[in-house]
Amino acid sequence: MLSPAQAIRISLGSIGSAKLRSALTTLGIIIGVAAVIANVSLGASFNQYFNDEIGAVGSNFIVVYSQNIDVFFDNELEVIKNTPGVDGVSPINQQMAQVTYMSTSRQIDIQGVTQDYDEVANFELDSGTFLTDKDRYVAVIGAEVAYEKFDKKISIKNPIDITFRREDGGVVTETFIVKGVITDPETTFAQTGVEPEIRVFISIDTMNEILGRDDYGGFFIKAQSLEVVRETSDEIDKRLARSLGVPSRDLENDDAKPYILFDQIEILEDTNQLSTALSSLLTSVALISLIVGSIGIMNIMLVTVAERTPEIGLLKSLGYNERDILLLFIIESMIVGLIGGIIGTVAGIGAASIANDLLDVPDVFPVSLIFLGFFVSLMVGLVAGVYPARKAARMNPVEALRKE
Amino acid sequence: MAGCNVQSPELNNVIDIQGLKKSYFLGNLEVPILHGIDLCIKKGEFVAIMGPSGSGKSTLMNMIGCLDRPTGGKVMLMGRDTNAITDNELAELRGFEIGFVFQNFSLIPRLSAYENVLLPTYSNTKDGMDTSGRARDLLKLVGLDDRTGHKPAELSGGQRQRVAIARSLINDPSLILADEPTGNLDSKTSVEIMDIFSDLHKKGRTIVMITHDPEMEQYVDRVVHIRDGNIGNN
Repeated sequence: MLSPAQAIRISLGSIGSAKLRSALTTLGIIIGVAAVIANVSLGASFNQYFNDEIGAVGSNFIVVYSQNIDVFFDNELEVIKNTPGVDGVSPINQQMAQVTYMSTSRQIDIQGVTQDYDEVANFELDSGTFLTDKDRYVAVIGAEVAYEKFDKKISIKNPIDITFRREDGGVVTETFIVKGVITDPETTFAQTGVEPEIRVFISIDTMNEILGRDDYGGFFIKAQSLEVVRETSDEIDKRLARSLGVPSRDLENDDAKPYILFDQIEILEDTNQLSTALSSLLTSVALISLIVGSIGIMNIMLVTVAERTPEIGLLKSLGYNERDILLLFIIESMIVGLIGGIIGTVAGIGAASIANDLLDVPDVFPVSLIFLGFFVSLMVGLVAGVYPARKAARMNPVEALRKE
Repeated sequence: MAGCNVQSPELNNVIDIQGLKKSYFLGNLEVPILHGIDLCIKKGEFVAIMGPSGSGKSTLMNMIGCLDRPTGGKVMLMGRDTNAITDNELAELRGFEIGFVFQNFSLIPRLSAYENVLLPTYSNTKDGMDTSGRARDLLKLVGLDDRTGHKPAELSGGQRQRVAIARSLINDPSLILADEPTGNLDSKTSVEIMDIFSDLHKKGRTIVMITHDPEMEQYVDRVVHIRDGNIGNN
């Protein structure tokens, strides 16, 4: 019986004797494998990019908010504070209000928060410092508010006037001193409503006093680590539901709860789903080119078998059995596939790296992709080789010899 | 109707053909080529099978070489009935017991002389045989010890046929089956090749040679004439 090692040696000789033809044959596989490798690698890079982006919003965050008023009070704040796994929590109230600076007025989103919000939301400050719980008529503003919204730039210690609209219809204007400017985090998506650059942050106690409220619109929570985000958010969900009198049987029913809760993991999963869908679409296009490449190999192998009919007859007369001949041609086909796979993998890595640079996403390359590339190309060679090899193996030796 | 008169299982009979019939089919039309041939070839014989083209001698060679199966009758090679074994066993039998030498040399152009000689051993090797040493010895035997690394294209016709003869001997077969071995060679080279066959015959090899050249009669023990698918009088 022919050993695979001998078959490889003989096949390499055959491939070497028709270099141009073999090179053209591998082209389809090169393109297919390169496209698969580049797509999968790009997908991984995008995943990393999404993760980084969401990390920039805040680390390990959990957000709870209600669309109704008078749902959350100090009691719920205490419930969340006492939930295991919670590192920090800030209540939030939000209102669009008119901000006036040096006789220019703009509608701006005002967020009432506490001192903890700084850490929870991962802010970086351009100048000044964030709010403390002792601050009263003091504001921290986003970079866009400070530098672009108004005719004149706002810097720290400048006074701004904020005009609130109360529930009872009254209008209150108060003057706040700017204490800090928050750097634009330059995230392009996955903002989860934080977007600090276009917002003004003030003390939630002061805000509630002005508005005559004592409830909170929601909470921005930081978990101790990414690993505990999911269980912490489940626990908060459970405790809040109990505190608000939601029956425990409705815990899984989001419509039954007067609030909405989501966490970083969920957003990660959503974006991962998006990038997975994207890269599987691209990969399926690449697979089509692999199929085309495989047909190319099959075609050339059929030509090779026809050309070498007398040789097949000779090998049979020398005692090679069907299995030997089958092995010889399948191995040849697999080597052609593998050569294409190696070149394609290198080209794919290169293409992915260039694309990552152009798109400004992190260069992530899973090493397992190299094995994937080799494996796929070997399989393509195998599948393409089976039919021509069987044809060769089943030849009648007398007729094959007569072809000379 | 019998091939060998003495049915000796001690492998004295290399080839024992009894009532061999072979037909080819063109659609449903049966075209008989061999009409019941009996032939016995004993160990150590050098036999020429002669006949004009169309006489069926190539078909007979295919039958002796176990490349094809009979329509009727049987072919015994080294006491084994080829009708009773599978295709894979038949391939193995060819690999071990028969050394082919073809008119057009049939070397693989991509392989060196040495590798061409080794080619049969990649598929079938006798236990404990030093194949690479034997390949070198055989190339020396046919006078090509200085050409082992050459590709067939770098060799003359006579040299190519010498490589083919070395290849036919690599597995130490019971029978050398040569199909018009000098058909593509000039007369001087033909003599050289026939001298090699004579030499092998003297060393005890069994050789069957298909030829249509009456000049070859001088080298052989016995001539079997075949005409219209029948064996004539020797």
